[in-house]
Amino acid sequence: MQAPGTASPLSAAQVGRLREEQGKVVTSCQEKIQHWRKVENDYEALQERLNTLPDKLSHDIMVPFGPLAFMPGKLVHTNEVTVLLGDNWFSKCSAKQAIGLVEHRKKHVRKALDDLQKVMKNFESRIEFTEDLQKMSDAAGDIVDIREEAENDGTETKGKRRTAHKPHSKPKVSDVFEVHFQENGMDTKSKGYSQSEEELWARLEELERREEMLGEFNRTPDTIEANGEDTTSSEEEKEDKTDLNVVHRVEDSTTQDNVQKEVTNSELFSGQVNGRSHYHSDDEDDLGVDHFVPTIFFSHTVEPKRVRINTGKNTTLKFSEKKEEAKRKRKNSNGNGHLVPELPNIKTPADIYRVFVDVVNGEYVPRKSILKSRSRENSVCSDTSESSAAEFDDRRGVLRSISYDEATYSDNSEGILEEEEEEGQEHLPKKLSTLSGTIEAFSGTVIEKEPLSPLIPHPSIAHPVLPTIPERKSEEVLSEASEETTKRISKFKAARMQQTN
Amino acid sequence: MRCVTGCDVINTVWADRTGPHRTLMADLIQKKLQGELEKYQQLQKDLSKSMAARQKLEAQLTENNIVKEELGLLDVTNTIYKLIGPVLVKQDMDEAKATVSKRLDYIAGEIKRYELQMQESEKKAEQQREVLARLQQEYQRAQGKGAAKA
Repeated sequence: MQAPGTASPLSAAQVGRLREEQGKVVTSCQEKIQHWRKVENDYEALQERLNTLPDKLSHDIMVPFGPLAFMPGKLVHTNEVTVLLGDNWFSKCSAKQAIGLVEHRKKHVRKALDDLQKVMKNFESRIEFTEDLQKMSDAAGDIVDIREEAENDGTETKGKRRTAHKPHSKPKVSDVFEVHFQENGMDTKSKGYSQSEEELWARLEELERREEMLGEFNRTPDTIEANGEDTTSSEEEKEDKTDLNVVHRVEDSTTQDNVQKEVTNSELFSGQVNGRSHYHSDDEDDLGVDHFVPTIFFSHTVEPKRVRINTGKNTTLKFSEKKEEAKRKRKNSNGNGHLVPELPNIKTPADIYRVFVDVVNGEYVPRKSILKSRSRENSVCSDTSESSAAEFDDRRGVLRSISYDEATYSDNSEGILEEEEEEGQEHLPKKLSTLSGTIEAFSGTVIEKEPLSPLIPHPSIAHPVLPTIPERKSEEVLSEASEETTKRISKFKAARMQQTN
Repeated sequence: MRCVTGCDVINTVWADRTGPHRTLMADLIQKKLQGELEKYQQLQKDLSKSMAARQKLEAQLTENNIVKEELGLLDVTNTIYKLIGPVLVKQDMDEAKATVSKRLDYIAGEIKRYELQMQESEKKAEQQREVLARLQQEYQRAQGKGAAKA
């Protein structure tokens, strides 16, 4: 997939031609360098001669006589030299002055040499680059592309959101270009090779910047973007362009700075994208790192980092973005000192049941209450339905949301789950004991009422005297409806009524 | 799709687009295209000429700079000559320096002039390119339609 404004895909022929042109530049540079070196040598020899000339008043020499003959002669006025200054200007100078002039000229020559050397080096590195490109394209068949979408979920340091690296500034920036090698008939990544080396360096800098950003995450992955086939795009992006293949897509979600970053790092000059195999883990996390083609999509879960959150009691909690948010919210909402930072304000046990609601099939299911059935009539609990012991295990696997405000599901909910369950289980065992206690106590009571729901096969049906503790299974709508229609009667009352009947 | 109004030929040419009418259209466009192309090539030549002249001037500029520097290295005792044809004409040091400076300024001015010229040529060439592109599109369309019809 190419972003708009992509450079045309490079074919191997084009790359070859580019290599040729660069080679030409380098050879021309080398020739010029040689020429200037010769000039410098000549000047050196001239200086030598000028040095020795004034030693004698006159030198005996063989004077060239036309193109084919020499004639013996004398060189007189050895100190007087007429120097061509350039542009048809001459000056008569002494030998020493002439030497000075020659030195001055040599300076210019050396400057020219230096410039040429620089250019040559520049182009030599570019040639290397192009050659690598060629090699990559040739060897593309041996390389397998492993894709893993990297999802950075709230691996924070101290929970402070850094505004400096807000991804809002870079929406949907993809700065990968692909090199398409079309004669292979494969869908490779195209590379706009019109880029110069400066762009290459600029690209490197940008990548480094991005890596820093990755290391300073403060974003919550809300949705996970499945890694598409070609997440790479051309280098034609808003920012600097280089010749590296790096896909870096940043998506902003408007809700609460939830940003999911999908980072795929791909190598230079990736080959074709043949036969990509796609692996997904069971988790919803999709982490992807691009390498060459063909691609293997790999994803693995992210371990929630254990970060010490100072909750006032030096509790080490499993870090998760949810907790961070909850913690933040607590702080913002003038949170009191709590045992667990992510919990909202809980002052009574009833609050607990208000807060810890399970979500089964999209509905809120309150947990088993330890409160007596009678008191529950006036309780704040959302529902008096409770699950049996057997459902504990079911609940464990259910996604829970901590905060009642947000119905956000985190992939790190496991961390939350564990935390919750530690809490919940404090209560649940109590419920269990209560329930079992009641079961034992009323094991022989007569069924007074119709089972609340014929769909709920469970021992609790044998104890209709506890109408306030009906079974809760997946078909809960019915049960709920039936529960609500049923009046809540305490077991004592029910027993009394039974006796009266 | 014949022109129902049965009016002049041009309408039928546009509406009918079959056989000889199509090639007529295409030919027209082609001729226009060629004309524009030639204009463009001329502009390119002008541009390259300006470029060459400018490069020559640049070389002269550097040379005169060197002369100026070297004149600075010399003192009054040295006699300076200027080569005019086959004759070396004696010059005054100050005069020589002034002459060289003036020549430098002149060269700089010339370079600027050529720069402007080049920019204008570039702009014109750009416009010409657009015209060419448009014409090419029309040509292809005309051809395409003709092919579709045929």
